[in-house]
Amino acid sequence: MSAPGSGNRAMFWRIVRRLLGANRGRLFVILLALGAGAAVTAALLNLQVDAKRRIAAQFRTLGGNVLITPHQANADAPQALEVKTLDASLFDKIPGRNRNSDGRVAKAALLYGIGNVSVSDSHSAPGSSIPVVFVGYRSTAHNLNDIFPSADGADPERRPNIAYVGPPVPVLPTWCDIGEQLATKLRVRPEQWLEVRVNGSSLLCNVNKVRHSGGAEDSQIFLPLPAAQYLLDEPGRASMIALNVPGNPANIVQFISDLRQITPDAEIQPVRQFTEGEAKIYGRISGLLSATVVVVLLLTGLCVMAAMTNVAMERRNDVGLMKAIGGATRRVLRLFLAEAALLGLAGGAIGAAAGIFLSIWLGKQVFGVATQPRLIVYPVAVALTMIVAILSAYPLRHLASVRPASIFRGEA
Amino acid sequence: MFLRLVADSFTRRPRRKVLTAAALSLGMAVVTAALSVSLDVGDRLASEFRSLGANLLVTPQADSLPLEIGGVDYRTVSAGAYLPEADLPKLKTIFWHNNIIAFAPVLEVSAMFPNMTISKYGSPNRSIPAMQIPLIGTWAEKHLQLSDGGTFVTGIAKTNPWFHVEGKWFSEERHLERIEVAPTGHTYLPGTPECVVGEKLASRRNLQVGESVVVSAPKVQSPQNMQSCDITGILSSGGPEDDALLMPLREVQELVNKPGQYRKLYVSALTKPEDDFARRDPKTMKADEFERWSCSPYVSSIAFSIQEVLPGTDVRVIRRVAEGEGTILTRVRALLWMVTLAALLAAALAVGASSAASVIERRTEIGLMKALGAGSGTVGFLLAAEQLLLAFVGGGIGYSLGIILARLVGQKIFGVAPAPSLLVLVAVLVLAAGVTLLGSALPLRRASRYEPAPILRGE
Repeated sequence: MSAPGSGNRAMFWRIVRRLLGANRGRLFVILLALGAGAAVTAALLNLQVDAKRRIAAQFRTLGGNVLITPHQANADAPQALEVKTLDASLFDKIPGRNRNSDGRVAKAALLYGIGNVSVSDSHSAPGSSIPVVFVGYRSTAHNLNDIFPSADGADPERRPNIAYVGPPVPVLPTWCDIGEQLATKLRVRPEQWLEVRVNGSSLLCNVNKVRHSGGAEDSQIFLPLPAAQYLLDEPGRASMIALNVPGNPANIVQFISDLRQITPDAEIQPVRQFTEGEAKIYGRISGLLSATVVVVLLLTGLCVMAAMTNVAMERRNDVGLMKAIGGATRRVLRLFLAEAALLGLAGGAIGAAAGIFLSIWLGKQVFGVATQPRLIVYPVAVALTMIVAILSAYPLRHLASVRPASIFRGEA
Repeated sequence: MFLRLVADSFTRRPRRKVLTAAALSLGMAVVTAALSVSLDVGDRLASEFRSLGANLLVTPQADSLPLEIGGVDYRTVSAGAYLPEADLPKLKTIFWHNNIIAFAPVLEVSAMFPNMTISKYGSPNRSIPAMQIPLIGTWAEKHLQLSDGGTFVTGIAKTNPWFHVEGKWFSEERHLERIEVAPTGHTYLPGTPECVVGEKLASRRNLQVGESVVVSAPKVQSPQNMQSCDITGILSSGGPEDDALLMPLREVQELVNKPGQYRKLYVSALTKPEDDFARRDPKTMKADEFERWSCSPYVSSIAFSIQEVLPGTDVRVIRRVAEGEGTILTRVRALLWMVTLAALLAAALAVGASSAASVIERRTEIGLMKALGAGSGTVGFLLAAEQLLLAFVGGGIGYSLGIILARLVGQKIFGVAPAPSLLVLVAVLVLAAGVTLLGSALPLRRASRYEPAPILRGE
């Protein structure tokens, strides 16, 4: 036989074309199997990376996970229960983003104190006062839910100009949020006025909303930070700064060690209850996702392979004929490999595109945000499909031993 | 004759049938594994979420507001209401008792370390200044006798799994010490109680495991307002407990003269994520709705049933834990179901394709049968019977393979294998049958229109 020339090559492709076109039903079936495999491969690969990041982001709902507190005084401090404070301006030094993961860092500077609270109504005499813990806070976006999650959703639009009519007060009236237990105890509703007194100082606040958290916050009253600083006579101070750092456990550890360099004179600690639980759960979920993805990919590959093999088997007749008219085994095999590769390419190209759309849709269903399509996934999925298709042609090796005569005699 | 034809088809070309069955079993194995893991994962993850700690907090109803800053209650011992410890075993009698993983009663007081410590040899060392500390009385690992005769081990070590103790937790009961009574013999008397000290407090007072400390409750009218204890462990919690001293609940009750009482109770319960229905007020529900609500382990319905057995309490859901858990659990479950669905779809398509291929290749045979006088219905019925047989065999093998796979995955990730479920077997067999029939339906319909003559001529 002459060296493969242009005529030979044209013949080669003609045969491949005829092989593909010979049975349109069968072509459709193979493309369907390969395309389904490619779609699942592409969708899962795309989702895999994105889902872990999004799951990590879900841990945000657990609230504050890092606390910055004043340094403990030296070993023999007589009073452990004395409330120490730190410089509230530290708040501005904390980076607003975690450079290792996306999502912003929610911050809140908090100042705790104990005071007496009573309902102050211009129409009636001041009610009985009860001791409560008040918390002055300053937070990013003026929303405490990132630090102390509560069941009542986002903060309402703050009403800035409610006219205060009552006895004159030393400071401008302000607003406050109160915990549900305290609200029940005082029988107070939003838009009523409260008076908070500590030693000599007092102030009035308008109830903005009632918070339901189920924790200690349910019996506390939340004020703007300057108001609490005024009451406690601690200008510019805070008891602690609470942060909600997004990201997976490793990101959070990294963020804390970065933070320690910025604020050497404060103690920074993860809230172990949440960081440790998060790490455990995150590990489980990401392990589960990886395992599912690997298992599904592997078995999808095997399924496609089995389907392809079934189809390849029936090519015995074709092989018999080709060998009978003088086709060398290697050339015949090359023909079928070319056919498999082409099928893989076509099935993969169509399937992977469908898979990427599938993953976008899945992301939207599960997380409410469309998954970012990763372009690298597309060629990887197509390549994987081609490899599977070519591997499925492996049983064709047996066809090398096909004896044309027995095929034509119908001895299957 | 029909059966003979079917049997013949299997024995004539066994290799091809084996291949089709293999495709089927692999596909069904994916489906089985994915379904088993997905069915099981909700429960598994829910128990993982218990590492976040208690999701219910029980406090006295008629209580004064706690003055809690940084985990320390600044109320005096006389202020506020208390709850009886004796009621606690009732928690394991509620409808959802199996969902209650752990609970721990807590009695917190503000106590003093007097200006002395006791060294190992019992000699007082008076060089250290007095210091105010939070004292927490609780159960560490209490063996609770239940009314049905069983015991339930619970305590703070279980509700707060992030607490790490270097050394060991205190034991609830005092150890009996053998005292020699000269000259006749000996007797047994209760020894010193044990305690665990927070790591920050330990480093400030330079305390170590094996040493003893004295703690006093100065503001309390009590017959015995000073108590020494042996340190059995150093606690690291990452929270306010690091500054506290933890003692058995009973010892703190005696110290502050509140026998058998506690102030708050943490309950850790396995729950189902709340949906819109769960958030409704049970008082506004109709009878059947209320029944459905109380028969679902929502955190709010568990809170409701706890309140029924512990009268005079206020049971509140710790939103921070419960809501976070709810959102994450719902999302992860949805994600897994989607992945399962995608796998199911792919497996179905691959299996369908393979069974379609197996019908297409039998054109000649169909042509021959028709030429011999078989109607389209008979041919279709014959092929369908073959495919169904294949589906059941393949589905059965796939199910066993899938169960093994699910075990591997479950064991690897959660350390517990999901139990094989009959539901999954039924689902898999139905799916296998459906998919193979659907896959063969299309080529069969075309086959029914075949003219025998051209096929037999090989056109």
